[in-house]
Amino acid sequence: MSLYDTELQKALSKIKESKAKTVCIQLPDGMKPYAKDIEEKITEETGTRVLIWLGSNFGACDIPLGLNKMGVDLLISWGHNVFHKKIDGW
Amino acid sequence: MDILFLDAPYTGTIELCSETISYLKKKKYKTVGLYASVQFIGKLEIIGTQLKNIGINAVTSHPDRSHVKGQLLGCDNYYNSLNLDENIDAYVYVGDGRFHPLALVYGQKDSKSMKEIICNDPINKRMVLMGIDDILIIIKKYRGSLLKFFTAKTVGILITIKPGQEQFKPALMLEKKYPNKKFYFFIDNVISFDQLENFNFIDVWVNTACPRVSFDDQEKFVKGVINLNDALSVEEILSKESVFNQC
Repeated sequence: MSLYDTELQKALSKIKESKAKTVCIQLPDGMKPYAKDIEEKITEETGTRVLIWLGSNFGACDIPLGLNKMGVDLLISWGHNVFHKKIDGW
Repeated sequence: MDILFLDAPYTGTIELCSETISYLKKKKYKTVGLYASVQFIGKLEIIGTQLKNIGINAVTSHPDRSHVKGQLLGCDNYYNSLNLDENIDAYVYVGDGRFHPLALVYGQKDSKSMKEIICNDPINKRMVLMGIDDILIIIKKYRGSLLKFFTAKTVGILITIKPGQEQFKPALMLEKKYPNKKFYFFIDNVISFDQLENFNFIDVWVNTACPRVSFDDQEKFVKGVINLNDALSVEEILSKESVFNQC
């Protein structure tokens, strides 16, 4: 059994609901080995093209830029929840 | 582009291990500040009940940047980030690793004294204690960088453009506060540490990206680095009675 629940059903529901054609999956370093299973499951269940973010995922403040230029409709980011940025600095 | 965040909760049992319980009993703490990283936050109530059963009152708060009460982020490393009103005897952190609980250590550097952090790791079922010794060398160097900033003539400000991090407007306040210094503004996707030395005219760096970079990645800055909020109040930090100034 995995240490962390990848909550794949939530991911699949969101992909189907949003009718996303291209999805980017972003994982923190400790979960990057899960990318194989996640990619295969999403592809098998939805037929969506999956792009795996190679780079950093320090937190929900660390969202990849420019994905829309690649036609990415949905980013699924694991291991963090919504980040509330302070607009007046730290 | 739509974004879905998934917490990836820990699948195992989340509870205080016997080592943690024994230690807390021995210390006779009355009130502790209770926090967890997002993977462990769902079972914080169980931990609260365990603490109550041994006579300890657990309090928590909703930190500035967190999405839920009790959730600790690595960037909650300043004393006012936690928004914790109650007086506590110690912190109890639930989770694995050092990154998140170290925020609680850094967060006390400007306080008069430091409360210990009792880390309960549900994965390895063990307890780890954290305190000033875990950051002593880092904050001594950080103090050196603060002093360097104080006298620096040319300062490089590092701004990363990711929406959660970008702090360009707050960084502009430095120009008003220090009219005798020349500030250069550098922008990047993430901080390219290997590029810093190419800009050899910079005396010291100010980091406006993740506030942990100036501590955890300190050795990558040959010229020294401090955080934006410390740069804005350097005299106050260096003159107050604090753990930081006792090191």
